[in-house]
Amino acid sequence: MSDTATKTQQPEQAQETVTLTVDGQSVTVNKGMTVLDACRQIDIPVPTFCWHPKLKSVGACRICYVEIEKFPKLMVSCATEAMNDMVVFTDSEKCREGRKAVIEFILLDHPLDCPTCDKGGECDLQDNAFEYGLTDDSNFEFRKFRHIRDKDSTFDDLKIGPEMIRNQNRCVLCYKCTRANEEAFGENDIGIYQRGSITEINAKPGGQVESLYSGNLVEICPVGALTASDWRYKIRVWNTTTVDSVCPFHADGANTTLWRDRTKVLRTTSRPNDAVDDGWLSDITRYGYQIANSEERLKTPLIKKGGKHVEASWDEALALIAEKIKELKGAKGSPCIAGVISPSLDLASLHCFNKLMRGALGANSVDYRSDYTALPTESGSVYAYMASRDFSIAAVDNADAILVVGSNLIREHPNVHLRVRKAVNNSNSWLYTANPLVTKSADCSTDEMLYRPGTDEVFLNGLALSLIDQGLAKSEVDVSRVNTLLAPNSVSECANVCGVSKERIDSCARKLAESKQPTIIGGELVSGSIDREKIANALFNLAVLLDVSLGDSGEKGQACILPRAANSKGAEALAITPELSNEDKFRLARVIGELPELPGRNWDSMISGAQGEEVKAMLIVGANPAQLSPDQRAVRKALESIEFLVVADLFETPTTQYADVVLPLASFAEYDGGFVNLEGRQQEFTAARKPIGSALAGYLALNRIADALGYSLYSDESTLNKEIADLLDNYTAPTRRPLLMESHHTPQERPEESYPLFVGDALHHFGHWTEFCESLKSFESKAKLEISPELADKLSVTEGDKVRVSAGEKKLNLKVRISELLEGDTLFAPHNFSATAINALRKADQRNCFVRIKVTESAL
Amino acid sequence: MAELKLLLKHTDDPKQKTVAGYEANGGYTAWRKVLTSMQPDQIIGEMKASGLRGRGGAGFPTGLKWSFVPIDSPKPRYLICNSDESEPGTCKDRVLLENDPHAVIEGMAIGAFAIGSHLAFNYIRGEFDFPANVFEQAVEEAYERGHLGKNIYGSGYDLDMITHTGGGAYICGEETALINSLAGDRGMSSMKPPFPAIEGLYGCPTIVNNVETLACVPHIINNGGDWYANMGTEKSPGTKLFSLSGHVNRPGNYELEMGTTLSYLINEMGGGVPDGRKIKAVIPGGASCPFMKPDQLDTPLDFESIAAAGSMLGSGACIVMDERTDITWATYKLIKFFKHESCGKCTPCREGTKWVTQLVDRALAGEGVESDIDKINSICHNIMGRTICPLGDAAAMPVISVVERYRDDLVERIREKTPLKMEQFDFS
Repeated sequence: MSDTATKTQQPEQAQETVTLTVDGQSVTVNKGMTVLDACRQIDIPVPTFCWHPKLKSVGACRICYVEIEKFPKLMVSCATEAMNDMVVFTDSEKCREGRKAVIEFILLDHPLDCPTCDKGGECDLQDNAFEYGLTDDSNFEFRKFRHIRDKDSTFDDLKIGPEMIRNQNRCVLCYKCTRANEEAFGENDIGIYQRGSITEINAKPGGQVESLYSGNLVEICPVGALTASDWRYKIRVWNTTTVDSVCPFHADGANTTLWRDRTKVLRTTSRPNDAVDDGWLSDITRYGYQIANSEERLKTPLIKKGGKHVEASWDEALALIAEKIKELKGAKGSPCIAGVISPSLDLASLHCFNKLMRGALGANSVDYRSDYTALPTESGSVYAYMASRDFSIAAVDNADAILVVGSNLIREHPNVHLRVRKAVNNSNSWLYTANPLVTKSADCSTDEMLYRPGTDEVFLNGLALSLIDQGLAKSEVDVSRVNTLLAPNSVSECANVCGVSKERIDSCARKLAESKQPTIIGGELVSGSIDREKIANALFNLAVLLDVSLGDSGEKGQACILPRAANSKGAEALAITPELSNEDKFRLARVIGELPELPGRNWDSMISGAQGEEVKAMLIVGANPAQLSPDQRAVRKALESIEFLVVADLFETPTTQYADVVLPLASFAEYDGGFVNLEGRQQEFTAARKPIGSALAGYLALNRIADALGYSLYSDESTLNKEIADLLDNYTAPTRRPLLMESHHTPQERPEESYPLFVGDALHHFGHWTEFCESLKSFESKAKLEISPELADKLSVTEGDKVRVSAGEKKLNLKVRISELLEGDTLFAPHNFSATAINALRKADQRNCFVRIKVTESAL
Repeated sequence: MAELKLLLKHTDDPKQKTVAGYEANGGYTAWRKVLTSMQPDQIIGEMKASGLRGRGGAGFPTGLKWSFVPIDSPKPRYLICNSDESEPGTCKDRVLLENDPHAVIEGMAIGAFAIGSHLAFNYIRGEFDFPANVFEQAVEEAYERGHLGKNIYGSGYDLDMITHTGGGAYICGEETALINSLAGDRGMSSMKPPFPAIEGLYGCPTIVNNVETLACVPHIINNGGDWYANMGTEKSPGTKLFSLSGHVNRPGNYELEMGTTLSYLINEMGGGVPDGRKIKAVIPGGASCPFMKPDQLDTPLDFESIAAAGSMLGSGACIVMDERTDITWATYKLIKFFKHESCGKCTPCREGTKWVTQLVDRALAGEGVESDIDKINSICHNIMGRTICPLGDAAAMPVISVVERYRDDLVERIREKTPLKMEQFDFS
């Protein structure tokens, strides 16, 4: 599986190269690369401050001087294009003198506070001053401080973001932070003030540096001018060690390094991997390690006695589990046992879960999709097909047209979001974002198409019909039945229903058809919809008509409905679903042995089965359906009526409240494991600390349950890994003939005076664990109702007002937050905070969540 | 060689700023000629033949600059008139903008046509409120009379012109900073290459020309490049505006044929130094040019001769300092200006100008030490040629010239060990 992602989408083009000499060594680089690139290619060190591999060179700091023959002046290597026959010297006397002068200039006002500066030990200025700044006679006779404009005083530390402290005295004005923020992230919350030697870096007036990527600015700061609250004054860097890790939240799988002392994880930095993350981390990835250190973690198993959870030992908990499971299984048989697991857990845990359920307990009712409802009931759905397509993050760079549909990309896939921006900025790609609500990607899109909530497939059908009408569809596709397959079945009708004009649909279709390497991304609004099959059909039709590569058919580009969690793709490949194809059965049987024959229940059916007294025992590992699953009423009722519920998690959650036994799980920083990211790339993470209390990694906990039941999941870890490798290696994504599929739109009635509410992840949170990260809480810690400025006007509400949000008889009191990112009458609320059950407003059988709003308390 | 009025011929005529007055004096004939009978390459040919060199300070041949715009680029092209006249001592562009705006418009129009641009900008410095209003009014009138807009003179050629006022920064006179500022970014210069002619405003081919340069264009088109080349010297043809200021009896803007001597400008045009005092130093081309000594007054005012004398013709702002001037104080004024105007992007300029200012300030305060002079010199050499844009060079050059040519004055000032009394510089 791991090699699918390395497949390059574009044919290798013969690159023109140039050959030059650096310090006597000959080096050949691609034309257009800089002298600095050439030096780095042959590991010749050249100091830099303002240069960053992913940003445009500006030549501001001047430390990267090299001497080039026939050039009278010293040249900045970062901004000098490498030419044939150049003769470059990086260590000549002239060159060293130039660099020394720059260091002298920079140190002129630089405070000598290295002993108390958090950057000490990993500071570019320290290193370069050591290399070039040593001098016997000090030139510095003036007071060393940066002046505040019009004042004879120096700067105090200033908190410019929830997690960011600025020390302007240390700033060397390389402008890497402001450039990255604008160029790579498309944010504008940090800027340059004043000019010349009194230049200042600060947050925008009246604002804070609080974008999703703010932590990167701290990481790329070459000195201690920007520091993050989590690392500040905690430890000297030389007293730490590092381990390699991977983001356990988003499916992007950003590569990270965890920094630890003997007991704790202290920070996360990027471990640049150009194929995945370009060296940028979202703040969720960066500060998410704090779940490992949280004092609120479950430290021992809990057993419910007299309606209350009391602490217990593992032995007690396991004995109780074994006793109850045996009893229920004996009385009702295996089908009364069901289990769900979170796709945020590692491969070993997922596999052990499958093996415990299917092998040891003989129960086929397993699922990992407890965040969704109306799940497919048999294998081979078009949705499953579209969600299992090959996707390469790096190939987004080369996409000349990108369609993002039904995805709030920055919240779902922060790294893919940055790649899309990069494609637009660097390759002038056409970007079309089509969503029922405004998303961040819209600010760089060619056209941002807002369709009416619940008309996703209508918009896509419009595109498909437009391709056919304009004669742009792939000619081999049989379009004769298109009038009956699609409803509505003309572009103008589709335009009327979805609310995006025919002209815009036509122009988007044309650009996609003209594209050589289109990328089509479907997101959470597709996956989470109860009509996901219809939308997937429409996406599939579009891909077929455009001749987009779907792995087994089509020629160019890529199209995929991206999975949500760090290991969703792994869960799919490990077959953690009740409905199995024959291939899946064969693969599983090889490692699990005989599979139970009775059909299993998927998540929907487990809920109805529990309410109908058919599911008596349930094992929930890492998942939190009582908070994240739509239709809370049914879920909570089901959890209540289950006779014996075991929940394993990191924290006490709304779901653990219902549990008879709660088991403490170890976090990703406490054991070794692996995730499969959205590209199918298998990546390993390493333990950075011992598990808190008696918490156990998922697979260890599951193995102990199996032990207690008298079954062994694996003899040693290498067999376990072999089994996982065997399953992944033999996994084949489903195939499908390129025939157009049916996609009929059924309109949903919208109650009067109601507004569509979208529920998803808060910008700085993912799932239910991040609300325990102090740093992420400082960005956002409470669920608020996000509302567009125009709707706020219409309802005359202001920021901070309390409103009653109701859907049917379900009511919630929420504070209002006016979001500039929303438009029209759409609402948004995050489901990450356990104190507010946002999902209670949703109904499992309704596609859109329409709510009414009543102001209950004014903030003024 | 002496005074020769070409650009300033009609600037005293109050009607010249109106479109009717300008037309009455033969205005817009060149523009009509271009649109009715000339091709872009012919215009560039005439410009090359004229030998006109940029009047903003660098003296780059204008025709050559225009020819750098790629012919086959599918992108739009832009012509920008650089009216960010902020070099201390320079006030020549202002005269043209205020009194002969249509000449600038006509020059811009011809330049735009030559490079295939349909949108021209005039970037006027923020402090030039009055000139900007006059120019804007002139643009409006030019539109009304059909000199600008759609299908000009029925030729099928469209040209729009936008007046843009800057925020008031010296650095925005540098073309890349000007382009950044015009595009809405911070006015900070960028590395070249890419040169604006290839990748300028909004990433498109862009030509930036000085006001005076563009005002010359209609004359060259009307009379031919060879006619223009006959004026002035061989390598610096034509006339040049000089802004004479400082210790002279008649300061002001004078138009001289290139190659006229410095002493002619000071003595014949400016009426010499008041009260028969002696000249101590002359800055021939604006604050960024090295100081010239009184024994160099016979130097002809053209690019080559002034360069040979160790200075620069620059923008033609001639600042005369008489014998009462304290050179340290004059240096301080200059370097303080550059420190204040440094954009802060690259290290040597940002930190170097500040450091030199501190050292010269110390000398003025009577707290300097003699070794400061060498330190100032070494700092300036670490700025020279090490910065992104010429502002660093501009700051370093005059200071280096002072250290070389007026070292004794500096030494004297430092040895006095008392703060300089500022009253003695009350020249009112």
